[in-house]
Amino acid sequence: MNPSLPFFVLATLSVFSALMVVLSRKPVHSVLYLIFCFFTIGGHYLLLNAQFLFAVHIIVYAGAIMVLFLFTLMFINMNKELEPHKSNLLKGAATIAAGCLLLVLVAATKGAETLPAISKTSDIGTVSNLGKALYGQYLLPFELISILLLTAMVGAVMLGKKDVE
Amino acid sequence: MKALIVIALLGVVTMMSEVFRFKKLLLPLVVVGLLAACGLAIGDWNTAIRYYSDMVYFDNYSLAFTSLIIVLTLLWLIISKGYFVSDSSRAEHATLILFTLCGGVIMTAYSDLSMFFVGLEILSISLYVLASSNKHDLKSNEAGMKYFLMGSFATGFLLFGMALIYGAAASFNLVKIAEYVQTTAAHGQTPMFVYTGVLLMMVGLMFKVSAAPFHFWAPDVYEGAPTLITAFMATVVKTAAFAAFYRLFSTCFGDISGFWAQTLAVISAVTMLTGNILAVSQTSLKRMLAYSSIAHAGYMLMAIVAMNKISGGAIFLYATAYSLGSLGAFACLHAISKYGDESIENLKGFAADNKIWAGLLGVIVLSLAGIPPVAGFFAKYYIFYGVFQSNFTWLVLVAILSSLIGVYYYFRIIITMVQPRSEKATVLPALTGAHKALLLISALLALGIGIYPAFLQGLLS
Amino acid sequence: MVLLSTPVDYLPIAMMFVVAIGFVLFVMFATHWMGPKHKSKVKLEAFECGIESKGNSRLPFSIKYFLIAILFVLFDVEVIFMYPWAVNFAEWSKHGLAAFGEMLVFLGLLVFGLIYIIRKGALKWE
Repeated sequence: MNPSLPFFVLATLSVFSALMVVLSRKPVHSVLYLIFCFFTIGGHYLLLNAQFLFAVHIIVYAGAIMVLFLFTLMFINMNKELEPHKSNLLKGAATIAAGCLLLVLVAATKGAETLPAISKTSDIGTVSNLGKALYGQYLLPFELISILLLTAMVGAVMLGKKDVE
Repeated sequence: MKALIVIALLGVVTMMSEVFRFKKLLLPLVVVGLLAACGLAIGDWNTAIRYYSDMVYFDNYSLAFTSLIIVLTLLWLIISKGYFVSDSSRAEHATLILFTLCGGVIMTAYSDLSMFFVGLEILSISLYVLASSNKHDLKSNEAGMKYFLMGSFATGFLLFGMALIYGAAASFNLVKIAEYVQTTAAHGQTPMFVYTGVLLMMVGLMFKVSAAPFHFWAPDVYEGAPTLITAFMATVVKTAAFAAFYRLFSTCFGDISGFWAQTLAVISAVTMLTGNILAVSQTSLKRMLAYSSIAHAGYMLMAIVAMNKISGGAIFLYATAYSLGSLGAFACLHAISKYGDESIENLKGFAADNKIWAGLLGVIVLSLAGIPPVAGFFAKYYIFYGVFQSNFTWLVLVAILSSLIGVYYYFRIIITMVQPRSEKATVLPALTGAHKALLLISALLALGIGIYPAFLQGLLS
Repeated sequence: MVLLSTPVDYLPIAMMFVVAIGFVLFVMFATHWMGPKHKSKVKLEAFECGIESKGNSRLPFSIKYFLIAILFVLFDVEVIFMYPWAVNFAEWSKHGLAAFGEMLVFLGLLVFGLIYIIRKGALKWE
């Protein structure tokens, strides 16, 4: 078996599902495709031997955050066709702009050379090694993450809670 | 570092001020805390210490910018009194402002891309919330939403760029990336990853500083957000974003400037022309200031293009002059737009009613326009001089041309101000003491810097 | 003890997934093939306690759910950070309390957040 076969299968699936997120007409379908997309990306993490990232990805993204997405969808009254009709000019402009970006990125990476692997060991992504990096070298960003979470908490309470008084 | 810790803890304390019922102490506490943080930052001058396995590096550059954004926040607090008193969730507002500042400090002092990202996220997420903090105003909601979508999109680009650079240099550390870029550039074998990464990071950063092809969110967000938050975004946040931009490019990518400097020069020219030309036709003072802030972003980009010995000091001086001017202008806007109408016509009769304050506003506007005796002129002068030395003469010419366009609409403010009040105009709200104080301070500082600009400029050269 | 694992170690899990999905698919199709088919309007209707279904199921609902869901996600993320810490803790704790202190700072800040949320009444159901 070609060792990079799993990668290509996963990559095809993730590109396909990502496309379907954008292309499906029903928002709930988009969300379901997005969940699928997250799973395929989680698969990539596994291929890279980053098990912790995989677990986090599934728990936080495919689990919790997708639930939030579904909640958000239910805030919207989906009975009516709310999607405003975009003019063809706008669509054309968007296509050209996105196409240009694609062209630039492809052109830039076309001449890319293969770089040597950063790490020689394959267990760099294990939970224990990640912990060593996170609580050793990256201690300060880690502590500041708590400030980030607090910010999100305060923001959510401020915007989501009804004013008293 | 101490300043950063003080600000972060201050944010947590203010967060608890409501639930532990010491809300009355909120404002004094914040002011004392910020003064302490500022003192600690200045006290570290000339020390240049790397903290926590080189996650942050408080050299003079970051200390200067840290002190600047703390001082700007303190000045901003003067007019924000009404905002904090009237709203039921003022503890939250204060907390988010402090967390934004905390993110800003990280962005001025980061020495590792992971820190940069954390700082940027703390700053951005607080701002998304603050922009939509006027919950019952549809425009404010729209501003928050737009800002959030655009901001996360930009963050995506930035992260992609960081990932590519990490892939090439095998480190997030700025010093190591710089070493890598230097050695590979010396052998002429910089990998494509680096170039793509630099471009993508540039795109992300230009979104954040609202440079020209990525500026479309700025006027809407600036207009929709509550005026005081707009003032905060246009000054403190913009300064922090530029500090981060300049730090990244001057530390890491100076050796491959041949690759990005031309692109950035064109973008800078387009930015200032777009900002200034579109500002001319605005009828709302708030939108006009929004476009003017885009134009100023263009001038500050010039310092990154120049990237020579004096540009660090020049961008610091420019950020100071621009932020002081903007704070003054927004204070005035806030005073006259009490009834929700931000049209520039509201300024009619302003000079007749408040002679002294109109004069001070005039000084501030002159500084923004870059007219000689005031800070703005010298800021522009140093920036232009640096760019000229780096052989971008055409860029200097474009900048001078666009400054002339800028003079036109800045003078419109002054001219409208001295016109007699129109018949249908409602009574102008009087300037409150807070607005007067801020106007006075920013005008005096603008004049002071104008008299002795070499001090601020020389700090970082 | 360091757990070394390569992608091959996941083969049993992958097989379990395949078996699980295969079983579900098998059961679903099997019931379709085997059972008798009687389609009528009443049978195809959504079952709601025997009462005729009314209105639309896509109703906008209260934002209170959302706030709680967001707060859940935040604490979820917080807990996930403890996992790589816990795996290494046994080793670190031999060298003093530094690792404990690191986590204490992180959790301490977030406990303030929790107090804030509770005192603010964000979890109250009014």
